[in-house]
Amino acid sequence: MSSSTRIAITGLGPLSSMGIGKDNLWKNINSGKANVKKEEAFIDGELWDSFFLHKVEGFNVHKFGIDEDRLSDIKDWKEGEEITDLNYLLAAVKLALDDAKLDYSKRDNGLGLVLAHENIGLMPFGLKVSNLAYNALIGKSKDQLSKKDFFNSLYKSFLKSGYDIQSFADLYHVAKVFNIHNYSLFLNNACASGLYAYEAAAEIIKSGQAKAVVVAASDNPEIYKYLWFRDLGIYSKSGKVRPFCKDSDGLVFGDGGAGVVLEDLASAKKRKAPIYAEYIGGGFDLEGWKITVPQIGNDSYQRAINKAFKNSKTKKTDIDLLVPHGVGSQPIDYYEAQAITDTFGNNPKKPLISVFKPFVGHNLGSSALLESLIMLLSLKNDTVLPALNYENPDPKFNIGLNKEKKQVRLKTAMKICCAFAGFNAAAVFRKVN
Amino acid sequence: MPQNLEQEVKELIAGVIGREPEELKLETNFWKDLGVDSIKAIEITVAIERKFKVSVRDEEIPKITTVGQAVAVIKGALEKKAK
Repeated sequence: MSSSTRIAITGLGPLSSMGIGKDNLWKNINSGKANVKKEEAFIDGELWDSFFLHKVEGFNVHKFGIDEDRLSDIKDWKEGEEITDLNYLLAAVKLALDDAKLDYSKRDNGLGLVLAHENIGLMPFGLKVSNLAYNALIGKSKDQLSKKDFFNSLYKSFLKSGYDIQSFADLYHVAKVFNIHNYSLFLNNACASGLYAYEAAAEIIKSGQAKAVVVAASDNPEIYKYLWFRDLGIYSKSGKVRPFCKDSDGLVFGDGGAGVVLEDLASAKKRKAPIYAEYIGGGFDLEGWKITVPQIGNDSYQRAINKAFKNSKTKKTDIDLLVPHGVGSQPIDYYEAQAITDTFGNNPKKPLISVFKPFVGHNLGSSALLESLIMLLSLKNDTVLPALNYENPDPKFNIGLNKEKKQVRLKTAMKICCAFAGFNAAAVFRKVN
Repeated sequence: MPQNLEQEVKELIAGVIGREPEELKLETNFWKDLGVDSIKAIEITVAIERKFKVSVRDEEIPKITTVGQAVAVIKGALEKKAK
């Protein structure tokens, strides 16, 4: 393998409110309707709070044909609990590998693994800590429970859960289930994780560490996550994500995840694998100003896009379809629109611009991967999806989203993302002739 | 601490939002009264950080809605820096 190795996308495995598996997702998303419901959180049977959510329906990890012994081992490690975030990762990897028609039964299957998640393990851990700490403390004075005893009881109860927070353990679980022994990596670049994962996977293949790499990411939103975003003032009260609109009022979480298989193009052609597109390069720039706020006026996002042009040997006129982050928060949309107009000009006719969060919600650390997957289906089907909820475009953004479903010849598409902490990223994909 | 901090802040904010400094009183809520939005609030923060060489915390940005609050945030940041 070498730097001249070309990288094909050969497997797609989405899990979202719009369907499980690529065929269901594509069929439902073409219906032009979203699936948003109120999620309610209860404490001791009493309603705590509720929030709008694009929720995955009918998910059962035992229905994907995953080795039941392995699932049982994981449940044992998790002390009897089933962790939805991890189950989504397992299902996404399985769907993507099956779609790529890759056999992973033998040890020497040549597979590598890249997993991404913004906060894996954190929600179950946080809720567990809250619950047990409450039970330990309730009705007790400081004299009745020493700090040492309290700390000791927490240590014993949470050590294993603590290890599972954004650590190696879930990488181990997923790799073991799918017999993956080559290079593996867990990464977290917030919402841009998916695009960083493409680049990491491509480099793993080009370096010869693996013949194919399955990339997977997930997010199962819980009440704590909602409370944080609500307190940041960026969670939609209307339940509608309206990117680049006058009446946008924030984001709505999207449940689910995605798996994507990247593979040496020559090998993929040789084994007659389905080839969705070629990953031809990405660009990445870390703004490094604040964690939760982009710096209006900074050109970091433009730099990421321009690096992607350079690395993919493309120019702006090559891009037929652009899929921005499109979260529906005024400052983030403005920051993003500036990057788009600086790159492609005001109200560009080309590329066509499509956004997917109004359909599937904001899948956080998995959002860029899930949305790039939908973009790859658009590319394959020569279809540009309409921007849902795009009823009151705001002229100050100087961009127009695609309003009607269009059947057009698409060759090259770009996914861009401006994430928390200023992880700005762009990835370019081209159809393979 | 700058001698005329309040005046400097008025001039800085007025420059960012395209108003005259005289229009800004200490208690003028520039979100409610002058149409400043979350986008301009970030631009004001960027300008404050550049001029006074301080770092404003993420959660303080939406709290800067009056000249008085901006002055308080800058004072707090300068004092923290001086420690």
